[in-house]
Amino acid sequence: MSGVSLRSRLRLRGLRARHLVLAIRVAAAAAIAVFALSTPGFTSPLSINALLNAISFIGCVAVGMTFITLTGNIMSLCLGATVSASALVFLASLSLGVLPAFGVAIAFGIVVTAAQGALVGYIRANPILVSIAGLSLLLGGAAFATGGQRIYPGGEGLQVFKGRFAGIPIEALYFFATVVVGQLVLSFTRIGRDMVMVGSNLRAATAAGVDTAAAITMAYVIAGACSAVSGVLLAARYGSGDMELGSGYDYTAIAAVLVGGTAIQGGAGSVVRTLLGVTAIAIIEVVLLLRGFSQQLQYLVTGLIVLAVIMLHTLGERR
Amino acid sequence: MTRAVAKLLDPKLRPFTVMAGAIVFLGLLDRGTGYFFSIGTIFSVMQLFATFGLVALGLGLSILIREFDLSVAGIVGLAGCIAVMTGVGNPWLGLVLGLGAGVVSGVIQGLIMTRLHLSSVGVSLGGLLTLQGLTYVLTDNKTVAYPNIAVSLSLNAPIAHLISVRSAACLAVFVVAALAMAYTHVGRDVIATGSDRRAARVAGLNTDRVVIGVFAASGASAALAGVLLSYSLGAASPVALADVLAPAAAAAIVGGVSVVGGRGSPMGIAAGVMTLCILRSGLSAIGVEPYVHDLVTGSILIAIAFLDAPELARRVTAWRLARVERQALARKSS
Amino acid sequence: MPILAIEGATKRFGPNEVLRNVTLSLDAQEIRAICGENGAGKSTLVKIITGVHSADGGRIVIDGQPVEVRNPQHAQELGIALVAQELSLAPALSVLDNIWLGNREVPLFHRRRALRERAQAALQKVGLGDLPLETPVSQLSIGRRQLVELARMLTRDARVFILDEPTATLSDVEIERIFAALRTLKAEGKSIIYITHRLGEVFQVCDSVTVLRNGELVGTRRTDEIDRAKLMEMMLGRALGEMYPRWDSNPGAPMLEVSNLGVPPLVQGFHLTAPRGAVVCLAGQVGSGAIEVLRALAGLAHNASGEVRVAGQAMPLRSVASARTAKVQFISEDRAGEGVFLRLRVGANLVATQLADHSRFGVLSRHGLRAAAAKLAAAVGVDRTRLRSQADELSGGNQQKLAFGRSLGRDDAGVLLMNEPTRGVDVGARAEIYRLIRQFCDRGYCLVMASSDIEEVLGMADVIVSMYRGRQIAVYRRGEADMQRVLADITHPAAA
Repeated sequence: MSGVSLRSRLRLRGLRARHLVLAIRVAAAAAIAVFALSTPGFTSPLSINALLNAISFIGCVAVGMTFITLTGNIMSLCLGATVSASALVFLASLSLGVLPAFGVAIAFGIVVTAAQGALVGYIRANPILVSIAGLSLLLGGAAFATGGQRIYPGGEGLQVFKGRFAGIPIEALYFFATVVVGQLVLSFTRIGRDMVMVGSNLRAATAAGVDTAAAITMAYVIAGACSAVSGVLLAARYGSGDMELGSGYDYTAIAAVLVGGTAIQGGAGSVVRTLLGVTAIAIIEVVLLLRGFSQQLQYLVTGLIVLAVIMLHTLGERR
Repeated sequence: MTRAVAKLLDPKLRPFTVMAGAIVFLGLLDRGTGYFFSIGTIFSVMQLFATFGLVALGLGLSILIREFDLSVAGIVGLAGCIAVMTGVGNPWLGLVLGLGAGVVSGVIQGLIMTRLHLSSVGVSLGGLLTLQGLTYVLTDNKTVAYPNIAVSLSLNAPIAHLISVRSAACLAVFVVAALAMAYTHVGRDVIATGSDRRAARVAGLNTDRVVIGVFAASGASAALAGVLLSYSLGAASPVALADVLAPAAAAAIVGGVSVVGGRGSPMGIAAGVMTLCILRSGLSAIGVEPYVHDLVTGSILIAIAFLDAPELARRVTAWRLARVERQALARKSS
Repeated sequence: MPILAIEGATKRFGPNEVLRNVTLSLDAQEIRAICGENGAGKSTLVKIITGVHSADGGRIVIDGQPVEVRNPQHAQELGIALVAQELSLAPALSVLDNIWLGNREVPLFHRRRALRERAQAALQKVGLGDLPLETPVSQLSIGRRQLVELARMLTRDARVFILDEPTATLSDVEIERIFAALRTLKAEGKSIIYITHRLGEVFQVCDSVTVLRNGELVGTRRTDEIDRAKLMEMMLGRALGEMYPRWDSNPGAPMLEVSNLGVPPLVQGFHLTAPRGAVVCLAGQVGSGAIEVLRALAGLAHNASGEVRVAGQAMPLRSVASARTAKVQFISEDRAGEGVFLRLRVGANLVATQLADHSRFGVLSRHGLRAAAAKLAAAVGVDRTRLRSQADELSGGNQQKLAFGRSLGRDDAGVLLMNEPTRGVDVGARAEIYRLIRQFCDRGYCLVMASSDIEEVLGMADVIVSMYRGRQIAVYRRGEADMQRVLADITHPAAA
């Protein structure tokens, strides 16, 4: 790109550019906050509830997606199906008891994504292709196992995963717990730091002696666990499940990750940022609903805002 | 023997090998009942081909230059709706407007990406959401009917029992694309941009123009698919092809498009699409359960992901060398 | 009137001013060399002329008219052709397609016979006449790729040709071909800018030479007015010896023993014994195998074979983990691609290899890491206030110091392998890095360095191993060889 490009005109010396970007982000967040708070009914318990619900299910998946993106593997098109499949596994294993069923569901999610992570991590198979393959296999496998029927709970105990606790929907609590655990892993563990280095520069990480395969596999494992949590929560909420449950989640999840500010090429970002991204998108949707925008316009405006925010984030940074 | 196998598996020829393999596989499953090898199957394969072949072509071209056009899914829906809404009296008008929408969407995204140095995933994701939103707004979230039945029928009428106008048009676009890639410098420029964009730029190529052009072509291609599909169904709906992205990407990659850029061809993509269509139509013609199709597709994709993995060869070499060294050590100590 | 003039060119990258007020002018039929050390600004100047970068100050004047070169395509339109230092060939395309890549003359349907014939003629001129036009460039060696780039240059109808280090990977015969091609161009009325480190070539083929130092213009002289010594003095601004620290060489016991190292397809039968407390330099150009040898010793070559012992213990090849366990550390020749995490903080870069030492049960001690980072920054001379900056805000020299700092992490001295340690580093930082290297040496490290900069090799090495096309040519102790000797070894050894 030539020197007289828009980018160059906007380019300031090092530090000042970074401050400008930060200022823009804060301003955008403030604008959303103002927009929200000035909407009548936004702070009502009903709308807060709706907000928290919207955030929780997709948020868990977005947290998982964050790890995949951070390691430089762009995104997975398979997490939505993992959500659905984990929900089915959970419901089917409820006869073993709630906690064991939860464990089985998480284990299932982990196995599904760990296999993908191993392919991507150990032999650098293409992550998009692997996730599409996983998607097909999951859809086919689920159809085979369930015969196309909806699955209903095989036992009791769904209450642990739905309802309210101290006035907050339980799903939200699980989601926040996921966020906290995810961020702790990212910031305070060695493998978390390895993941960031792998995403930042895979070759440099290899040369520095980082176990890149393990870091990538672990990122996928976390994604699978998070998706399984979402699946369990959805299963509890709706009392039954099929493969449609998580459909479309992948795109919303990656949108949340990008809106939150995690770089698509990896190496920069955090789970907290994804939390902000999920919240921002959910707030915009709820606010548009409350302000009487038709559902059609909601989609359009949300799409435009996501595009704008993604553009804003990368404006101050090199590619 | 192994050399021949290696040649067949070489990425340039592999899409055709896999396609042949799929045909053989289904032929074996068929066991002479004639369900697979029938004219009806070929026709349904071609209809399916027409449905998402063009989307795969557009997406494949964007993968060729190391980008990823997520918005193709949205353009299919939007173009279809625009065509249906404006093309009642004059189907050509609807076609032109639908194509125009695809081109404009591609150009805008291309401009955003090149002027602001953004990655295509983020921009096309935003584009996808925006286009879907536009479609919802335009159709008021309802399915719009296309009363011009004559057009729908003529698009789908079988020609020589094998193809329809729709699939012929799709094939024609592939042929034109293949010729353009092979015989004009546009094709070389696209491959150069995908192979090493920095080098191509320094050599004097206007890579920004190539990127914008590819996204415009991708948009046009997906738009054509959407228009033809909507016309032939006699209706357009905002969720026309919600799950088009994954099969299209899979088809492109099976078709030999390399995700690290610089390798791929329209004919290869056509073979990839064919393979997936043959599997889907063939399996349902034979009467297997629908889930078998997903399992077979998934397995093929995993196999290709495995074979194409860059580190695979290195790991194998390293493992072989380690084995040689261990044997030498054992011999020394014995 | 000069064909091309640059007036007051200035360029900054972040905090670095890489060019300051550079002015020069080029006449028709003039072959002008541009010389300067690593980091003097030569490549940046070229990138400004060819539109890859835009200057922050100054202007370019072509045929008396000031112009703004917007991008490489525009430069082409203005009649400027470049053969860059980093090859600009698309590996997936054939030789023919690469020759015509980006050329505005090419018609839409490009398989015209005329194009093939012209490409063939150009290849003939650079000595590749028998290379099939359809060969994919990915199959060619670096030397041949360089020649294909030159062939492309010959097909461009330009008036100013710029060659940036064109002969680094070529044999003598190939170099003569280049010179012949340049003289032909000159006779046809073209002008040539020739950037090189190799002072001999300056006097062989150039009419005049411009010297840059630290981003500033030192002066322009005709080649019949000065000699080599004067040229070097202009480039360095001081006598050669002051750049390299003086020391008493005191090598200890052998620390690294390599026998029969092979790295297909280039390196074969490589042997080396390197003692503690000494600097061993593998001297060789690009393609000599020096870099590949060190990468293999660092565990980065998946197909390396041979026997390696470190401090008497056998070290398995093909595994970075094994190398690190054997206390072998590595500094890559590709700083941006493999050495530094550009988007991570300086502190994170410094401790990248020490995470295991500061974690318990997988949990990091961030406090411990911060302290370690501060200590390492101090040890290599990186300002503490920079610890929280992103690594890409540092200059090339400071980034290289990060790589060195990373290797200091261990308390016990091991083996340090360095590939082209001062590539792309400005003069000031280079002197610091040489001092750092000596410090490592004094601590008892065994240092092995691969370099194509012969001045550097002669200045730093206790032992020189010259290499050519994957094989060792000779081994010299300090003082046993001079510039001529080593250059001869690495460019055209007598007994190949």
